[in-house]
Amino acid sequence: MPESRIAPRIAGNVAFIVAAGLVGLAIGYFVDDSLGWAVFAVGLLLLLAHHLLQLYALGIWLERGDVVGEPRARGVWDELHALLHRSRREAATREAELARALTRWREAARALPDGVVILDGDRIEWCNDTAKLHLDIDPVGDAGNTITHLVRIPEFVQYLEGGDYAKPIELRSGDGRVLSVQIVPYGDAQRLVLSRDITRFEKLERMRREFVANVSHEMRTPLTVISGFLETLREDNEGDAEDRRRYLELMSEQARRMERLVADLLTLSTLESSPPPPLEEAIDMGALVERMGADARALSNGRHKIEVENASGIELLGSEKEITSALGNLVSNAIRYTPVGGTVRLRWHVAPEGAAFDVEDTGIGISPEHLPRLTERFYRVDRGRSRETGGTGLGLAIVKHALVRHGATLDVQSTPGQGSRFTARFAGPRVRI
Amino acid sequence: MTEHISKQYDQDLETIRSRMMQMGGLVESQIRAAIDGYMNGDLARIEAVIANDRRANELEVAIDNDLGQIIVRRQPAASDLRLILAVSKTVTDLERVGDEAAKIARMAREIHGGRGLAGIPLTAVGHVSEISIGMLRRSLDAFARLDAAAAARVVAEDAAIDAEFRSILRQLITFMMEDPRTISTSLNIVWVAKAFERIGDHAKNIAEHVIYIVKGRDVRHIPLAELEKEALG
Repeated sequence: MPESRIAPRIAGNVAFIVAAGLVGLAIGYFVDDSLGWAVFAVGLLLLLAHHLLQLYALGIWLERGDVVGEPRARGVWDELHALLHRSRREAATREAELARALTRWREAARALPDGVVILDGDRIEWCNDTAKLHLDIDPVGDAGNTITHLVRIPEFVQYLEGGDYAKPIELRSGDGRVLSVQIVPYGDAQRLVLSRDITRFEKLERMRREFVANVSHEMRTPLTVISGFLETLREDNEGDAEDRRRYLELMSEQARRMERLVADLLTLSTLESSPPPPLEEAIDMGALVERMGADARALSNGRHKIEVENASGIELLGSEKEITSALGNLVSNAIRYTPVGGTVRLRWHVAPEGAAFDVEDTGIGISPEHLPRLTERFYRVDRGRSRETGGTGLGLAIVKHALVRHGATLDVQSTPGQGSRFTARFAGPRVRI
Repeated sequence: MTEHISKQYDQDLETIRSRMMQMGGLVESQIRAAIDGYMNGDLARIEAVIANDRRANELEVAIDNDLGQIIVRRQPAASDLRLILAVSKTVTDLERVGDEAAKIARMAREIHGGRGLAGIPLTAVGHVSEISIGMLRRSLDAFARLDAAAAARVVAEDAAIDAEFRSILRQLITFMMEDPRTISTSLNIVWVAKAFERIGDHAKNIAEHVIYIVKGRDVRHIPLAELEKEALG
């Protein structure tokens, strides 16, 4: 039996009663019977009064419910108080721990990147902030509301009521998000609704499909031309030599176009898959810009006025090949889309946050609605004109990719009929002035 | 809503509300599909909208039937009666919205089924469609939450739709004057814009029904400022 501290105290009380009894008995024997009883009764009453008083103090303290401010007590009550006090303190600690654990859990659930709604039957019990974003449910105000009254998309209602939750469903929310929603039943009629934003995946998937379709289309057009001429040549043996020469010329032109397309596709795929350009190789920008000017003159063949402004002392770290291909594309675009007699200006200069390469032309310009989509693959402002001038539709996509890899951005300003300015802005650790 | 002694009564009311919300969800998705089909020329989607209009009509009849039953059996009073009246009117509004969705789909079929549409500004209705779809969504949300303040905000939005409709009209008129060959398509676009303007009106009606349930006052045909005071007070 464990050592008890309350037993000796009780024993003390018993000893007091026994002592009072003995004193009463002694008085009764030696003095007077009734006096003996009276003394014993007074002794018992005193003990009773003491206990009642302590009981009263304890009762009041418990009623008030304070943890502190415990009344002072003596004897057996002191021990009882100590026990009560201890268990109360333990309960309070346990409660605080539980509350902390619950808060931590809620905070974790709230911070989840996926939406979580806890349902009791059809009613919303709790949801996190992401669910609010995805499904437009208010975590505070909507507790107790029926979920199908707020998420009314018929597919979702059907899924929830159908009871087959093996696979998630895809929903399009009011603000254009694509969500993957999964229901997980648990406990007694409880359900968990999990939502994940898959807009990005969906968009990537669509872009991939479009890209494949575009590439096939771009490849097929020259192939159709070539095979058409081949057919003609095969069937028409005695055609005149002049015609044949013309056919062959058109065929090799189409073959060159396909070659360019494949070369551009390979460049893009290299840009996408190769490691980031080196940080320790300095590009000789002075010479590169001079080369750009020379290339521009060669391409223009005297039809445009070419101006080159070249700042010295700016160093760029990275891949010379990629930068040449990016800036070269900008320059050749400017020449191609500027009518004879126009001006193309190339400027390499110090800019507010680093350096910039401007290509300014007095060409046909671009309407503002095309600007945001210019760097998309195969996006063309004017299909006919782009092909006519030998474009593959990938030039600006390559420019953007190569620039992004060097921490640079492409900025386009243009007024239809007046000209455009393409600016490659270099900033950050790759630029040294 | 206060609880009744009869649990069955509460459940009946809840079921009717749920079916109305289900109908709301259906017509919402119908409008979305219709405007998607209109913008992208997706003929399969357009046909689906026209075919699905039947479902909204069936739901309307079924809910009306349920409402009749509950009125006869329970003889509702006070807030229950207001709820039932509001559901009945809302269902009528929703059915009309469903019809407008089908109308948009039919216009889209005509626009995309015909000749080429070089340069005709289909996207002119983009903004008005967004406003009215948003209004409908928020009015039904306000119904689900019985939130009079949110309902009052929906009512206030209606002015934006009217302004937008007028600006679309102006834009299309200039267009038609420049090139008379675009007149028939442009007129179809005007009909689409008009359908969205109507959807906005129905959303406004639904919002007014919500205020009626919560505040017990009919706020139709009163000035906006007074309505807002009523809803927030």
